[in-house]
Amino acid sequence: MRYRKNGVNILVFFGLAILLLFFLSPIIWNVLTSFKDRGEYFTYPPVFISSTFSFEYYQHGLAIGGAKGIQDSLIITLSTTAISVILGSLAAYSIARFRIGGDNFAFWILSIRMLPPVASLLPLFLFFRFLRLLDTYEALILTYSIINLPFVVWLMKGFFEELPKELEEAALVDGCSRLGAFTRIALPLVSPGLVATALFCFMFSWNEFIFALILGRSRVVPVTVNIAGMIGGHEILWAEISAVATLASVPIILLAFVLQRFLVRGLTLGAVKG
Amino acid sequence: MFKKIFVLVIALVFLTSAAYAATTTLTVVGDAGHNMRPFEWYEGDFRELYGVELIQVGVPFGLLYESQRIEFIGETGAYDFMIVYPKFLAEFAANGWLYPLDDFIQEKDPNFDDIIPAYLEFYCKYKGEVFALPYDGDVLSLYYRLDLLENEEEKAAFQDKHGYELKVPETWDEFLDVAEFFTRKAGETLAGEVLNRDFYGTAYYGVKDQLWGWWAAMFASHGGVYFDEETFEPGINSEAAVKATEIMMEFHNYSPPDVLAYGYEELKDVFLEGDCFMVMQWPCIGKKGADPAESRIVGKIGATHVPGVRVNGEVYFRAPMPAGRVLAIAADAEDPWKAYQVIWHLSVVTSLDDVSTHLTGLDPYRFSHFEHPEAYGMFEEIRDAEIYLAGLRQNLENGFPELTLPGTVEYLDTLGVELTNAIVGAKEPQQALDDAASAWRDITNRLGFEAQKAFYVELVEGWREAGLWD
Amino acid sequence: MSMKGKRERYLPLFFVLPTVIIILIISIFPLIYSFWLSLCEWEIGIGADRVFVGLRNYARLLTDSRFLNSLMNTGRVLFFGVGAQFALGLGVALLLNRSFRGKNLVSTLFLLPMMVSPVVVGCIWRIIYHYRYGPLNYMLNMAGLSSVNWLGSTDMAIYSIILADIWEWTPFMMIVLLAGLQAIPDELYEAARVDGANRWQIFTYMLVPLLRPVMIIVILIRIMDTFKIFDLVFLITFGGPGQASETVSFYNYLTGFRHFSMGYASSMAYFQLAIIVIIANIFLRVWRRREEA
Repeated sequence: MRYRKNGVNILVFFGLAILLLFFLSPIIWNVLTSFKDRGEYFTYPPVFISSTFSFEYYQHGLAIGGAKGIQDSLIITLSTTAISVILGSLAAYSIARFRIGGDNFAFWILSIRMLPPVASLLPLFLFFRFLRLLDTYEALILTYSIINLPFVVWLMKGFFEELPKELEEAALVDGCSRLGAFTRIALPLVSPGLVATALFCFMFSWNEFIFALILGRSRVVPVTVNIAGMIGGHEILWAEISAVATLASVPIILLAFVLQRFLVRGLTLGAVKG
Repeated sequence: MFKKIFVLVIALVFLTSAAYAATTTLTVVGDAGHNMRPFEWYEGDFRELYGVELIQVGVPFGLLYESQRIEFIGETGAYDFMIVYPKFLAEFAANGWLYPLDDFIQEKDPNFDDIIPAYLEFYCKYKGEVFALPYDGDVLSLYYRLDLLENEEEKAAFQDKHGYELKVPETWDEFLDVAEFFTRKAGETLAGEVLNRDFYGTAYYGVKDQLWGWWAAMFASHGGVYFDEETFEPGINSEAAVKATEIMMEFHNYSPPDVLAYGYEELKDVFLEGDCFMVMQWPCIGKKGADPAESRIVGKIGATHVPGVRVNGEVYFRAPMPAGRVLAIAADAEDPWKAYQVIWHLSVVTSLDDVSTHLTGLDPYRFSHFEHPEAYGMFEEIRDAEIYLAGLRQNLENGFPELTLPGTVEYLDTLGVELTNAIVGAKEPQQALDDAASAWRDITNRLGFEAQKAFYVELVEGWREAGLWD
Repeated sequence: MSMKGKRERYLPLFFVLPTVIIILIISIFPLIYSFWLSLCEWEIGIGADRVFVGLRNYARLLTDSRFLNSLMNTGRVLFFGVGAQFALGLGVALLLNRSFRGKNLVSTLFLLPMMVSPVVVGCIWRIIYHYRYGPLNYMLNMAGLSSVNWLGSTDMAIYSIILADIWEWTPFMMIVLLAGLQAIPDELYEAARVDGANRWQIFTYMLVPLLRPVMIIVILIRIMDTFKIFDLVFLITFGGPGQASETVSFYNYLTGFRHFSMGYASSMAYFQLAIIVIIANIFLRVWRRREEA
């Protein structure tokens, strides 16, 4: 009997079941709320399953900005993810292979992540006003990219360092260019890590709130801002909020399920090595 | 034939493009939710009458100030006109961010004579110049459960306990007696019925941004003022303030346990769901209370003036006037005149419709709004509408104006924090208020002592003119 | 050949350049600009001019009881929040560190809380914590316990935030620690078992030392993010009641974007940054020493 391959005994099963219940029930509650009528979300005892169970609040939630919010979030998130993964892995490759910037470069990049967002909010606001980019997709895409880049560099550097140098050297001897060695040898080998990294970028940009609040406005309203707007109003439309929140979580959750293989493996590959 | 059609098409293109050229797109920002509904309702009218295409931006009402402010600071010109809370009007106007309306008023009369002076004087003006038109009049009134007050059983029990007749509380002592009397646990009886959940004597707005407004009802009726006019020393640690805080600490005991997390929504719910005997609240609770979709106590709501202090047999009371809404135009608006026409339309033409429906949170601000109880269609009986309007009117005449200095947000925020400290017993009332006063002094010094003082003196003069300051 | 050689030599530089440029322009600029602001008094609320005041803002920080209170609250989130996330995350990771059918599915289900947006998390927990109608108090009542005043009590509010934070971020700890556990080769377990080690010994003498670098990094990341905790506070309590659940980043937001004391807000951000950098350095020093050893 090996330590880690002993399957699931009854104790482990119960432990996992209880923990899963704790971690999933709030999400389930949210989904249930999205079907409730006005009179049903605040009652005692609480209503668990709505008696009407209609999709009315989904429609209404989408109509009052939810659809636009999800669309904006998609545009911003996909662009950000592409930009930061591409630029970030290039930089990470250089750092890993050629020790560009010495040993502390990666740490220095990561330290930018430490800066409290409030410190950069006003300067960024003024900066984008100067460029006349407020309330545009570009502003948020750029902002999220700089926030994501350090993280991408940090993760990808780990993945590249894991790769044996010899593979690329062999390719170089065979007449491959440096760029070729990167795109044809190194990149495919770290692709699980790349997918995991992209997923993290996607998650961050999809979920971000405070920058979106200040840099977006009327033309660009990501879904997080849209939801917060509904909660701050004079009448809190809980069913609509839950409906939009549920829809906003769908892409992320779908991605997580489709890419679950990469998620754990990607992290195993190198992230944890720093 | 073919030619004819061609000409027709050309003509159509010209016509539509001419119409298109005449429309201006204006962006309006306001607090998201029911108070922006009129913009939706009359969208078509604005287009036809004034050639204005509206883009609406709704912001959570706690964030309206920040989001307007940051656009002004960034000089982005993002918003053409907006809903402004009067307490920020002075700040915005002083910075030159708002468009002065005096010339427009000459051209298109907003019928100022009809506006209740209090709302005109310090909701819309800055240094004598008009910068906004009113949209929502706010003053606290006392709303209570008429049915419980008239219940014979409860009346007898109250008489037994306190030795005087159960009636609408007029003074703070009576208020506390009644609140205590009606605070019941689940399982006890109320008006002959066994309660299946706790019932509370009262409740208040406990979130720190507006908490001061409820406290101010006690503070002002005991003679409290914000600052001393001569020395500009904060008046919020005076004897009146301590007394007010002590009363507040007592009625906290008769409120729901989580009352400190109550904002507008929660305070409205606890009363309309029939879980609370009385609340001081904005007038819209009266309107919404008559709507069966939101209220379980339709037809059971009484309205009167907020409690006060008995002086020589007369009750002296002051009704705080937190919030309120006005419509103002940005100094860098695309087309100020068109924007003015839109806000004029809302403040004059449709105002009665907008304040008399439970679909908005807007409340009366013109004399004419009080003269048409029949317009308030959600009240089944006109008598209920009359009770509602009469209660409101009484409070208005004794309104206690909201502070509208630059930095008001910070002043009231720190006061809210220290009041909370006193209510939960983290500090002695005097200590908490002294700390608040010292924070106020710091704020004043940072923003410029002389400027702030001059500002305040001017405010007080305006209040005096409106008959709301001694 | 020499042309190509030259190009090849500079290629690595071209790889790094875009990242560095972007970071320099829009990240270093705010960094320097807001440091300059932290030395000024700038009350943009009243349209006042910027006045250079040296270190006065930093001195004010140390006497501002509301700031110290927010610092305490952040400390609480760090200690209880990150602590519980670590303990729970490690527990779940150990439970999952075995092969069974549907393991990937179960691990992914555990990840859902961190995938959902903090704004959504805030909304969800606000309903859950509702004193009279929330499902949480209902379940407590069913279990014979009395209702907890989650959001309306100055003692409780910050812990309600912490609980929501634990719920949201334990999965992150779990997934990274699990990845670390799975990187440990099977042979080591075998060897330990052959040597007659029991489970506890395997855990303390083998797993913990091997996992140490991963633990340090994941805790460090959570600490850095905890200093930024904002969305949950914003949506669940807005810092209330009073100042009871204000964290540093939330109070920082209030001073900057509600009171509009831009200079003071910047100094607060820098103070915060200094603390984070110190903590990060301590962690990394420990980590490096481990690596060298």
